[in-house]
Amino acid sequence: MRASADGRKGRRIIGRLAVIVDPKCPVSPDIDRIDFELFKSALFAAADEMAVTVCRTTYSGVLRDNMDFSTSIADPEGDVVAQGLTLPMHLGSVRTALAALLARYDSDMGEDDVFVLNDPFEGGMHLPDIFMFKPVFVDGERAGFACCTAHQTDIGGRVPGSNAADSTEIYQEGLRIPPTKLQEGGVPNDTLWRMIERNVRVPVQVFGDLRAQLAACAIGEQEIRAQVARYGLDSARAMMREMLDYTERMTRAALRPLPDGEYDFEDWIDDDGVDFGRPVRLFVTVRKSGERIAFDWTGSAPQVRGAINATLSVTRATSFTAIRSILPSDIPNNDGTFRVVEVSAPAGTIANMELPGACAARGLTGFRMLDCAFGALAKMAPDRVCAASDGGNVGVSVGGYRADRTPFIYVDFTCGTWGGRPFSDGLEGSSNILANMAAQSVEVSEHENPVEILGNELVTDACGAGRFRGGAPFYREYRMREEEAVVQVRSDRQTHRPYGLYGGRPGAPGEVVLNPGREARALPSKVTMNCRRGDVVRWVLPGGGGWGDPLERDPQCVLRDVRNELVSPAAAERDYGVIVDTERWQVDEVATERLRAQRRAARGGHRAPFVSRDDEA
Amino acid sequence: MLRYRAGIDIGGTFTDIVLLDPGGGVISKKVMSSAEDYALAIARGLEALFSESGVAPDAIVEIMHGTTVASNAVLERNGARVGLITSRGFRDVLELRDLRMPRLYDLTWEKPPALVERYLRVTVDERVNAAGEVVHPLDPEDARRALRRLRDDGVEALAVCLINSYANPRHERLVAEAAEELAPALPCCTSFDVLPEIKEYERTSTTVVNAYVLPIVGRYLFSLRDRIDARGVDAPVLIMQSNGGLTPAAQAASRPVDIIESGPAAGVVGARAVARRSGVQDVISFDMGGTTAKASLIENGEYTRTRAYSVGGGIITGSRLLSGGGYLLGVPAIDLAEVGAGGGSILWIDSGGSLQAGPKSAGAFPGPACYGLGGEAPTVTDANVVLGYLNPFFLCGGELKIDAGRSRRALESKVAEPLGLEIEHAAWAARQVAIANMIRAIRAVSSERGRDPRSYELFAFGGNGALFAAGMAAELGMTRVIVPPAAGLFSAFGLLYADIEHHYSRTVRRLLRDSDPEEVEALYRELEVLADAQLASAGFDADRRRCERSAMLHYKGQIYELEVRVAAGRIDRGALERLAEDFGREHARTYGHRAGDDEPVELVTVQVLGRGLSEEPRVPDSLSLSARDPERGSRRAYHGRGYGWMDTPVLPRSALAGGVDGPCIVEEYDSTCLVPPGVRAELDPAGNLLLSL
Repeated sequence: MRASADGRKGRRIIGRLAVIVDPKCPVSPDIDRIDFELFKSALFAAADEMAVTVCRTTYSGVLRDNMDFSTSIADPEGDVVAQGLTLPMHLGSVRTALAALLARYDSDMGEDDVFVLNDPFEGGMHLPDIFMFKPVFVDGERAGFACCTAHQTDIGGRVPGSNAADSTEIYQEGLRIPPTKLQEGGVPNDTLWRMIERNVRVPVQVFGDLRAQLAACAIGEQEIRAQVARYGLDSARAMMREMLDYTERMTRAALRPLPDGEYDFEDWIDDDGVDFGRPVRLFVTVRKSGERIAFDWTGSAPQVRGAINATLSVTRATSFTAIRSILPSDIPNNDGTFRVVEVSAPAGTIANMELPGACAARGLTGFRMLDCAFGALAKMAPDRVCAASDGGNVGVSVGGYRADRTPFIYVDFTCGTWGGRPFSDGLEGSSNILANMAAQSVEVSEHENPVEILGNELVTDACGAGRFRGGAPFYREYRMREEEAVVQVRSDRQTHRPYGLYGGRPGAPGEVVLNPGREARALPSKVTMNCRRGDVVRWVLPGGGGWGDPLERDPQCVLRDVRNELVSPAAAERDYGVIVDTERWQVDEVATERLRAQRRAARGGHRAPFVSRDDEA
Repeated sequence: MLRYRAGIDIGGTFTDIVLLDPGGGVISKKVMSSAEDYALAIARGLEALFSESGVAPDAIVEIMHGTTVASNAVLERNGARVGLITSRGFRDVLELRDLRMPRLYDLTWEKPPALVERYLRVTVDERVNAAGEVVHPLDPEDARRALRRLRDDGVEALAVCLINSYANPRHERLVAEAAEELAPALPCCTSFDVLPEIKEYERTSTTVVNAYVLPIVGRYLFSLRDRIDARGVDAPVLIMQSNGGLTPAAQAASRPVDIIESGPAAGVVGARAVARRSGVQDVISFDMGGTTAKASLIENGEYTRTRAYSVGGGIITGSRLLSGGGYLLGVPAIDLAEVGAGGGSILWIDSGGSLQAGPKSAGAFPGPACYGLGGEAPTVTDANVVLGYLNPFFLCGGELKIDAGRSRRALESKVAEPLGLEIEHAAWAARQVAIANMIRAIRAVSSERGRDPRSYELFAFGGNGALFAAGMAAELGMTRVIVPPAAGLFSAFGLLYADIEHHYSRTVRRLLRDSDPEEVEALYRELEVLADAQLASAGFDADRRRCERSAMLHYKGQIYELEVRVAAGRIDRGALERLAEDFGREHARTYGHRAGDDEPVELVTVQVLGRGLSEEPRVPDSLSLSARDPERGSRRAYHGRGYGWMDTPVLPRSALAGGVDGPCIVEEYDSTCLVPPGVRAELDPAGNLLLSL
């Protein structure tokens, strides 16, 4: 099995490998490279296997379809060495949670203990996310942790689904669980289970999902044990450390060629859902130097009253996702990256909240921080970064009681529009890069919940124009079928549209409308309201921003968009200077050339701005 | 006159033909595939076989065929111009898909383009609710308007998928009737006929793929019939379906969505049958070729099936966690996991300094460096040449020349030198890395499903399966390996073992405790009548038609279901209670936990499998192959650090009759089997090579 030739280990650092090996982090000579590759594959496969288990056994749409959970394996010190291919927004959050756990229980944990926590002020992100950890012991020594974080359908609090954007303190948002034993030595902690049961609206679902998390942790534990049995505890620990070093080396190698410098960007969240109409500023400064990069969120707004405050772990995960998305895709997902990616935000800001900040809808801020971080990175790596996306998912919760007083909660998160890219159009109908969420089936939703979904279709003339246009957004429309329901919508980018880059135009703003075609009341982006049977709620995603000068777009692509009714003939002429013959489905090339020449001349020497946030004056 | 049954398997590079006589005599032929018209290679191959062997065309009584023609139409996107009719408000179900991507952190991801462009997707104003009630009736004139528009746009096939049609197909039927009247020549596929199940995207995608490949599959099957008729072969043609059962060519032509994974399924069918005959019920089949390796689990002598999979998503590179690549199909298929690792996989070093194998492949051209066709990159096959496992001069009985020097040079400069390893260590390492990749396929069908691979035997075939089988088994802790005769041609062989099968299903979605046993019984009866009629039409007498019931169940609120067999006999209250208990047990077995008895179990789908039984075993127990045995000899081969270089005997399979201790290499026309040191190899009476680790 051991393949390396002992006498020649020094020669490993030669050729093109030599340049990527950092002197502070050399390839460990004690580790067999082939054993290491096998060990690494085994732990990542185990983390994925844990995730598959959650998907297959969960009871809630949020987990099974939106995949709002993550799984990982950590070393005995609490660094994640392998994260499953799950929710990017959880990346880097597990170590924060583990650190909180170890601060309390480092010396007080044993075999078959299972720990949980959800308190954002002690390791958590927001209350619905329950972090679960199972320490793994071999011969009395801690060999690692199996970890599973999952968004629960409900965790109590004032609004069904525990997601409201308009709570103003954490105490309104549900049950806060500090690091605690859910099970000790294999024996369930009945007190805690009963406390959870009494505080959530749908205990059957929540218990089902906790069991799914337990099953995932059991699988992670098995695999850690199998690997330790195979290589021995010392070797396994050394290889776990090498997994972190390996990721660090790859991240450094990928960062080095990017240009050094300081790049900043600002953007605004429409408002916090409490102080309507008051924009919330996001500001990031990215400092790139050699093999390191730092995201500094100083300049972002002080924390707000509404529930969109982020913990530092959210800010971290988002910053990391931004840089990770423009680096090569073969860097393993683990905490090794954080050794070279530094993230900071002053306490008491929207990017690093303090007690008693409310944070249930912090996901929104995460998505918007990603757009903001991409804006800064677009200055550093113009050929790799897209224009603004839809700004994240629209979250809808419909909750209440049926005539027989049984509760129902329908939670739907949907996103799907990318900004135009330097090499290609923005995608439509594809999840945001921060959350690889699947859409819930319309038919299953209607079968299980008292709602009817009247439509879910792409919208014409809403994508930002550009050489590579933004993705076309879609709308969704729900009709309420129960007598009464509390409906809560969390969305954004109604007043601050998805920006275009390098001459690309901004995408259309998002919309939320009550009873379209009847009273057609426009609603703000974040709203909690009572609805009655027959009421219809419609939302439209914001359109993706465009990338590059629309006059440089291939007229054949414009023709295809017109034929597919994503762009109207009038918009083709207005935005792209393309005249389409809709009888024969051809571009009128002569007229198009003439019109484009006129448009260019009219601009004079004026160069397109780096970023466009609104229609031209 | 001897009567022959023919198994014909079309692969990317080769078309394999196997003829079997009732006494177990086997004649085989490998010819190059003809991509312009696959039927041509078959006709040519048969012709060559007839002239070489003297078999008369009319001696062939049955042709079993596995084909990639349907999957290729999707992969190469050269299917029909399809028009899609959907409900108002749902024009984009096909394009929005489930929103998910198969990769994380990848800003360069491109969605697979929808098989029907938006302007060919037309809506009709209608609505049925989840209970199957018509909320907004469809005006037939509206359907005609939509159809006229698509007809004028020159579509070649129609797909119709309306929201909630699984609960009430009336409106889809109305559209189909209007199509019959306005455009009788256009094939029209309604989703209720193709897949009467809940979940609009799955149903739409499946229906569209069916329409998309229908004309091309129809033309191919017509051409095949035509060409073999012209050569005097009048035997019926049966097509392998993705689910492992055969179906008459005419049926395949009208439901081509069932034959998408026709090729890979055949090998698993053969593995199940051959293993069963050797008294082995639990095996993992392992099929490794030039670019991919596939694994599938056979348990209690039965395949595991999946109800949904994607075609054309590229190669699954590990986890099945991430969906969104390819085109989703909600039809039963043998559950296969595939990874991009094969003989042609290219070896390279990543920026973290780790050796990697694949997923990029040198393919058949330029191929591995040792082919001398211009390939410079070292591949897994080159590593096997350096290690001395593969013949250093030729493969395929001399038809393919090998230059071992090229393998050495490529491996030395691209792997050994940069890693600071001796060349044999580098080659050994490459092999281990390839094995680590392929293990993911096996884990995906075993441990990811709660099954321990150590309690299964490894059934290895495909061009490279036998070369890696022992190494794979060792890594997984498996102790027994089976390598069937003609392992490199085994997919063509597998076809000969298959039975005629048809699957029917219907969505129920009701809690078991609230279900009316009478109603469930009636549903099963309804499906059985359909299955029975279809078997009868394929010529099966009543005593050779068998129907098996099963159910898809989950705890209410779960999205994934588990399949549970339903015992024969009339369904009553007690039967439903037993079903709930069986489900609970299956859940505990698969996931390690089950819910309390008070938690409701939902009956999601009822399913019937109709099977046509053959009068006699379709393949005799013992086979006599026209063997082209190589010379006996020996060569130096490297067996890892513990053993180092050893003189390793090279033997024909027949030499293993009395049992041989490794190391040795078994060279055959269609593949090479490695028996490492410490492993014992013997032959069973059916000619299978058995390795004990």
